[in-house]
This record gives sequence, structure tokens and C-alpha cells, in this order.
Amino acid sequence: MFSDLTDQLDALGARLREALASAGDHAALEGVRVRFLGRSGEITQVRRAIGTLSPAERPAAGKAINDAVAQFEAELESRSHELDARALEGELALAIDVTFPGIAPATGSLHPIRRAMEDACRYFERHGFAVVLGPEIETEYYNFDALNIPPDHPAREGLDSFYLRPGLLLRTHTSPMQVRTMQAHPPPIAIVVPGKCYRRDAIDARHSPMFHQIEGLLVAPGIHLGHLKGVLEGLFREVFGPKQAVRFRPSFFPFVEPGAEVDTTCPGCGGEGCKTCGGSGWIEIGGSGMVHPDVLRESGYDPAGVTGWAFGVGIERIAMVRQDIDDIRVLFENDPRVLEQLA
Amino acid sequence: MKLPIAWLRDYLDVTLSSDEIAARFAALGFPVDDIVRRPVLSGVRVGRLARVEKHPDADRLLVCTVDVAGPKALTIATAATNVAEGQVVPVALLGAQLVGLTIGPRKMRGIDSEGMLCSAAELGLEAEWFEDGILQLEDELEIGADFTRMFRLGDDVLDVEVTANRVDAMSVLGLARELAASLGARVREPETHRDSNAERPLGPALVRLESPDCTRFVAQRVSGVTVRPSPFWMRVRLALAGQRPINNLVDISNFVMFEGAQPLHFYDFEHVAGGALVVRDAREGESIRTLDDAERKLDSRFLVIADEREPQCIAGLKGAAPTEVSPATHELLVEAATFSGPRVRRMSVALGLRTEASSRHEKGLPLGLSTWGAARAAYLLERAGASPDAPFVAGADDAPPAPIRVAVASFAQLLGMTIDANEAAGALRALGFSVEVAAGGDALETVPPFWRGDVKIREDVVEEVARVVGYDRIESALPPVLETRVSSDDYRNESRIAQALATRGYREAVTFSLQPAALQRRYERAGVALPGPVVGILNPLSEDQRYLRFSLLPALLELAAKYARDDAYRVFEIGHVFEGDPEPFETPGVAWLLALPQSAEPAWRDSGFLTFKGESLAFVRALAGRDAEVVSTAQPGWHPGKSAALLVDGRDVAVIGAVDPRLLAAFEIDVRVYAGWMRMADLPAYRAPRYKPASKYPTVARDLALIVAPEIPALDIEHAVRAGGDGAIADVRVFDEYRGPQIEAGKKSIAVRVILQRDDATLTDAEADGHVAAILAALHERCGARIRDS
Ligand SMILES: [Zn+2]
Repeated sequence: MFSDLTDQLDALGARLREALASAGDHAALEGVRVRFLGRSGEITQVRRAIGTLSPAERPAAGKAINDAVAQFEAELESRSHELDARALEGELALAIDVTFPGIAPATGSLHPIRRAMEDACRYFERHGFAVVLGPEIETEYYNFDALNIPPDHPAREGLDSFYLRPGLLLRTHTSPMQVRTMQAHPPPIAIVVPGKCYRRDAIDARHSPMFHQIEGLLVAPGIHLGHLKGVLEGLFREVFGPKQAVRFRPSFFPFVEPGAEVDTTCPGCGGEGCKTCGGSGWIEIGGSGMVHPDVLRESGYDPAGVTGWAFGVGIERIAMVRQDIDDIRVLFENDPRVLEQLA
Repeated sequence: MKLPIAWLRDYLDVTLSSDEIAARFAALGFPVDDIVRRPVLSGVRVGRLARVEKHPDADRLLVCTVDVAGPKALTIATAATNVAEGQVVPVALLGAQLVGLTIGPRKMRGIDSEGMLCSAAELGLEAEWFEDGILQLEDELEIGADFTRMFRLGDDVLDVEVTANRVDAMSVLGLARELAASLGARVREPETHRDSNAERPLGPALVRLESPDCTRFVAQRVSGVTVRPSPFWMRVRLALAGQRPINNLVDISNFVMFEGAQPLHFYDFEHVAGGALVVRDAREGESIRTLDDAERKLDSRFLVIADEREPQCIAGLKGAAPTEVSPATHELLVEAATFSGPRVRRMSVALGLRTEASSRHEKGLPLGLSTWGAARAAYLLERAGASPDAPFVAGADDAPPAPIRVAVASFAQLLGMTIDANEAAGALRALGFSVEVAAGGDALETVPPFWRGDVKIREDVVEEVARVVGYDRIESALPPVLETRVSSDDYRNESRIAQALATRGYREAVTFSLQPAALQRRYERAGVALPGPVVGILNPLSEDQRYLRFSLLPALLELAAKYARDDAYRVFEIGHVFEGDPEPFETPGVAWLLALPQSAEPAWRDSGFLTFKGESLAFVRALAGRDAEVVSTAQPGWHPGKSAALLVDGRDVAVIGAVDPRLLAAFEIDVRVYAGWMRMADLPAYRAPRYKPASKYPTVARDLALIVAPEIPALDIEHAVRAGGDGAIADVRVFDEYRGPQIEAGKKSIAVRVILQRDDATLTDAEADGHVAAILAALHERCGARIRDS
């Protein structure tokens, strides 16, 4: 009887709704679909009952079943959306402790001396200078004689050196590369030379028997000290900051004339005066001057045709001043905690 | 050098503060290292002791009636023992400010004392260097004058740095000339003995020069000498300059040196055997008894001034006892000589003695200063009551320095600033140059003053002008950008290496190239060969820095011993290593090191090595732009079974591997350590890799579990797979190894993932099966491998 069929569909609907209500996830929902609407699900039992109806009742029964199935599927669908919405809500409600330490990759670093050196070289490369390296074992000829520092010259005093054998020593400055480069190349020359130097100084907070310098050399027609001042200003602005100024003071180095001691604004106080600069507002940072005509001649250049300047600046000094390091030995201890901090 | 401003003001009127004077000197090229502040003194007068009487109630006290040219004489009690009637002494009035005390009225055993007689210490002078008790002044001083002002005792003392080229400025007068030029003023030149400039007189030769290392010797006989204390003005100047006053003769000799830079030596002429001196090399076996009573052996390195018997002075350094000035001296021979600077320096080093005189001689004194020095000493000796003869000169003329022509354009050329002829001439004249502006005004004819032996060329003159005008006037400019042919490749490579290692977790270290013998001894004890003969320093500063590093590894091992703990520790260094004997040479290179905590692993596995190898290959790939081949190797310093050479294009690039366990023991390291070393010269040039299109078709991955003999290396298996794969191999990865009970004894199991792919079509399962069969056949044939039964 048709009314039995409707009762069955109603009962099935009730059970289905009950099952939907307790299906907590998509897998359970699929289970419900199979149980009620699958090939061998409960609805199939009901469909089979159509055969027991009179032919007159069958079309209506068929329609009733199809309507019910459509209704059930809509309810399944709606339950599915409901589950999706709940899952999303749950996902969005999750919160973790973002302050929990991250998992760090192995971190490497460049040494503060290399950083200072590369920062300096970068400035010069931008201005058309080549960066060259040179030997640390030097001959007396290149370290002294070619630089207008003959034997027994009092200027050798401040350059007390480590000898490997008579005539051969560890270079006391990067200046030997001036003559080496000029002898190998015709003018114009625009180079900087970073590298290690050695002097017989006992190690203390300010001195080290091994240290790094950067040498600069520019030789071409029409080059003067004003160009050196401009370039050094640029250098110190690159390594210390945009407000640096340069001050020249007369000094004596046998391989330059006129010679100048180079000061720059104390980056610690910006020129106001502090402990780093002894209150003067300036820090001493290197020596410089116009390449001595004797050095040009020794290099095979004609002093009547070209002029040039050279300078030497301490790299440790740059690193120490800009990173607040008050003891040069810190740079050679290589304590990984310190290297990490300074990188 | 110590520059008392009190002394400076003898030659120049300055009203600037000490700090302003210091700033001027710095701008002239004479940095002031220190300003020694003098104590504040006031209320001290020059007084005469009109009467000195015993204190009625105290044996130890004297009561003085002191004339200070005031309305009435003062009554001052003193405990000093060196006072006597008629003496002229410094008197502190009531309210006077002395070092550490202010003078107030005092009752001394019933006597009202109205001031104090002063000793050196109360006036801020070195007590040991002056008389014990009350300072004794000269009779001719004006009574009642302000003592502090008269002797400028409140003026500070500057510690001035003088560069090696300016021996003339190692003197008060020299620095006064500098300051004067900066102020646009002229100094008052000190007076000299007028006869001194007379023509060379006839008469007996006082000196003979037998060595070219004495270029000029001015000798001057001075008779009628009386030895006594110097006047206070001279004593106080010397004391402020740091020189202890001794007696009038010694003091004049020092005074002239501090004043004008020319060192002098005084001989007691009565004791000069033969009445003449000779400058010559010392003879072997000769010796000299010096003023400090030491007997010094001499040899031909020494230049001496000798009488006819024996050396009486080591040139520029030290006099001998026999001719030393003594209280009995009546006649002097004054030496003002010019010696070879290098010779004096060598003698100074040989003797281990450096004096005020030698530090001036060794810089090379201008010839003209000897004439000046002798004349100045003669003047001062004459003022002290002695009678100088005319000087006797041996050696070179004191010809003035050669003229130097300077084009006015030179200033712009070298300094980049315009200085006109008049301004330049003014600056030079202020420094004592004589200057003529050439007709047309485009050049200067200059002659440096006799004391400026350092000014020789145009550039020197330009510097002089720039110093006076002020370096601050140099304006910044940027030079033109020039095309230079010099290569930056070596530097670039260093930078790229540092960057590539830092990117892979390595921290850069900078260690000393100078090392102790202990490091190579550790190698020797460990039985590990050194790369070559170690280079030693001839003149090391300490045992810690006796040798040049033969390798970067020892320093990195020391760091590992110190810092490698529970975590992985990565470090690298770029630097030169040294070897060779007798000819030392250096090799730039890079070493990198990985230390890992110990872990239990079977003997045939070393996962640390694999980590290190992977990092090293990635590093080389980044540098070269192509992959390196890995070939096992044996190198001193590395574990013979756990080290490999990395090759690019068939050429050795680097060696990597586990560090030799004997070295680890020698460096007291108990973690696993792996290291790599590459010479800069071996670094292959970076080659940009070529493009090859990636296949659009899917890949098929097959994992093969193989059983092979344990000695078959993974690389052979990889090669066999590629050989059998008939060009369909996209990638081969050996990814696991096993040895143990689950497989047959004496074999190992190797897992290989083979990735197959065609460039032109999708690979079918059947094709893949065919390739795998061919691969297995190749593996069997080449490696004796077979599939592991599951
Ligand atoms: Zn500062």
C-alpha cells in the first residue's frame, strides 16, 4: 500500500537525520550516505517495495521515492557544508606560541676585519679602482729602498720589522705594492691593496705584531691632494656613516711629499668629543701624501708627466671604531660567540 | 720632546693658551702628545735676606728680615739651613699660593712669621735637581719683582712629537720658529759670540778628521773657566725641559742642544794629551773609560774622538773620564760636530745607549748648526766669565742649502688649491727661507735657511707653504674615473670563497701567522709530516711568535679544541702559509673545518665525513660553476682512509677529509673533526653552466636493493647504472648502505634510486622494466652486484 511506503520513507528519513546529526566528519558522512543511499543501502530496500504496489500506485510511489532521495541528498550536502564550516572554524581557532624559538640553520659569518676590508674595497671598486693583493714576504728593496727609505734612515725606526734572512722580511706596510704595481703597469694606476702587515710590536690592547692595512694609490696626470681628501671622505662615509669629514695634518713619510696624517670625524661622538677620540672629536686613521718623485722615478714613471697620491689606513682601526671594540686582541681570539655578535 | 712654554717665550711673544699653542703645533705637523699642566703659583717675590738671626727660643730656627721692596721689610722664620745674610731668594708673601699650600700668618715659637722662603718643591720643581733648602737666586735680580712671572713658572710644558726629518725642530728655537711662522711673527734669534763667525784663523790645528763619518768639526778653545752653579733662569729652563742642571759648563752644553738642536761636547783641554784631537775609527783592542766609570771595549765599528794617547769620546754618544769637565777645569775645548747619522745610530744600537745627543746626531744634523752651536756656547761661556778664542773648523764648509725654484702653479698641481706668489713667499720667509719672486710672478726662487737640511726639492717647498697656510684649506674633489688595466681577480676569489663558506655555515677566523714552535712539535710528536721546512723569524719578539705558519690547520685545530662542544662547529680561514729553507715562499689558500660531537657508528660508516663532503662539494660547485669529482687520497694531516681529493676538469682543487686522529690527540680534541684545504692558485675559474632544457615528460623512479662486495665503491655502482641505462638516466642516487646479520656474511647491501626519463616521450612501464633489466645486467657485470632477496 502506498501509505506504507510513505511511512517507510518517513521512518528512513528520521533515521537518516539521526545518523547525520551524529556524523562528526566526512568519513562518517560517507558511511551514512552508503548506508542509506548506496547501491545496497536502505533506500534500495524501499525501492524494491514498489514491485508490491499496484500499477496505478507505482508512478506516484516512484516519484515519492525520488523526491525523498533528492531531499536526503540535499540534507547530506548541507551536513557536509556544516562540517566544512566547523572544520575551518576549528582550524582558524588554532593558535601557537610564535615566540617559541625558531630552528636556526647553521650560520656562518665573515670576520669583522674582512667586513671592514670589503666595505672599503667596495667603495673604491665603485670609483674605478682595482683591488690587488700582494706578498707578505717582501724584499728590503720593495719594503724600504724603493720607497725612499734607505738603510739607516731614521724612518725605518718606526717600521721595526721581522726578518726571515738578511734582505728578506715580512712587509711592514702595504706600500711595497705601490712600486710593484707601477713597475708592472704603465700609468694611469688606480688601485687599493688590502692585506696583512707585520711590525715588531708587543701585543697589547692597541698593538698587534700582525695587522691589516688598506693601501690606496692613484697616479695619473693632474692628480692632487684635493682628490685624496674627496676619496677619503667617500671611504669614511662608506664605512662609518654619512656625516664623516676628513682632516689632514702635515706629517712625514719618506715615500710621499707633501705628507699628511689623516684624521676623520670620531664616529663615536660625531665630533663632539668622547673617550674614543680623547675628547678631540677626531680619530687618527692613517697616513697619506703625494707620491714622492723619487718613488715615481724608481717605478719607471716620469714625475714631470704624472702626479699621484697614496694612503694607508688601518683596517682593524675601522672595525674597532665602528663596532665598539676596545681591545685589538678580541679580533684575533675568534671566540664564536663574539664572531656571531659582530657579524 | 718636552717644550717648556716658558722657554719658548724667550724667542717669541705669545699670548695663546697652552691648548691653542698645541693646536697650532698639530696643524703644523707637530702633534702634542701631552700638555703637562704647571701648578698655579702666586704671591712669590724676589727678596733679599737683609738680616739673618738665630731665633731666641729655638735652636733650629732662624729669623730673617727680608727685603721685598715693600713698605717695610718682612720678618720670616725658617728652618732652612742654607740661608745667609745678603742672599737673594724667592719669598712667598702672606696669601701666596704654592704647590699644596697657601701661606697664612704663622707664629713660630713666639715670632710672627710674615711669609715663607721657598724651596724647589714648593714651586713645582724637581726637588732633587735643585739645592737642598732655599733656592738661591742671582744678586742682580730686581728685588720685589714677581718671581713666578719673571721665570714664567706658571707656563705649561708641551710634549711635542717631532718627525724624523725635522732634527732642527728637536729644539725650543726650532719649534719657536714654527709657531712664529704660523702666527705671522718672527723669532728673536738668540745672541752668539761675534768672533765665532770670523774667518778660519791660523794657528795650531786643534782637530784632524780621519774619518768621512765626521763631515765637520768646529773646535773652540775657551779659557778662564770657573765651574759653579748656573744662574737660576738656565737651571729652571733645563729642569722644565726634563734635564737635570749640574754646573754652569755641563748646563751650557745641554742648554745649547735643547735650544738649537746642536749637541756639544766639552773637553777639559788641560787633559787633552798633545793639545789636539783626531776623529777616527777606534782600533781593535782599544777601550774607553766613560763618565759612568764603565770600561767599554771598542772596535772599528766605533767612531771616536781621541787625543794623542787614547779615545776621549765616542762620537755623539759618550765622553771619557780623563777629559771630563770637573770643578778643577780652567780651560775647555768645545766640540760642535756633524757626524754621519747612520754611523751614530749603529753605535747607539751596539752600545745599547741612546742619549739626547745621539737621538739628534742620528737624524743627520745640518752642517750650519755646528757653526751656530759653537758660537752660541762661546757667547754663553763668555757671559759666564770665560774667554773664548776664535773657532777652529775642520771639514766641510757650512755652505747654505742649494736654491730651489718653484713654479707658482706647483701649489695647485700638488695641493689642488690656489696660492699666489706673495702668499707663498710670505709663508716661506716666515720659516726663514730667503725668497725672490721671479719676474712675471710665476715662480719663486727660494733658499732654505741653514738649519733646514730636509728641504731639497720642489715638493718639500710646497709642503712648507701648505703647512703654514694650513692643510685645512685643501678642498675635497673627486678624481676622474680612470681605466686601469690592473686585475682584481685574486681579491674577487678571496671574497667569493669567504662568501661561499659563510653561506654554508662556516665562521671566518683570523689567526696569527706567527706561531710558537709548540705547533710544529705537536705534528712531530704525532708523527705527522710537516708540509715542508718551517720558516723561522731571525729576530722574533717572543717564543710565541718564532715561526711562520706552515699550515692554516693547526690554528683551526686549536680553535676546535677550545670552542667545539655539543653542537657542530664550523670555522674557516683565508691566509698565506709559508715554507722553504733557505728560500722562504708563501702560498695563499683557504682551510675550512667542521667539528661534530662523537657518535656511535659502525666502523665502515662515517656520517660526519658525508656531511663535510656534501658541504665541500656544494662550496666547490658554487666557486667553479661545475661539480667536482671525488677521488680517495692520502695527505699528511688527514686520515689515510677517510680523505679525498676534489677534482674539477681532472685537476686537483682541494683535499678534504677526517683529520688524522694522531693530530686530534696531539691537540687534545675529543670530537670528530673534518677539514679541507685549497690553494688559491688551484681554484678553477668560474664557468657559467650551459643551459639544457628540462624534460617535459614525467620521470619514473625505481629503487634497487643490491648485494655487493664491501670494497665496491658507490661511485662504481653509479657508473654501472649509467652505463646500463642507455641514456634514459635522469639521476642516480646511492642512498643507503647496510652491513650485518640480515644479509649474507662478507657482503654489503646498497640501495640505489634510479630516476628514468625520456626527453621526447613519456616512458612506459614496459620501457622502464627494460631499462632496469639492462641496468641490473650492467651492475652484475661491472660490480658483481645482484638484487637483494626481500
Ligand atoms: Zn669621540
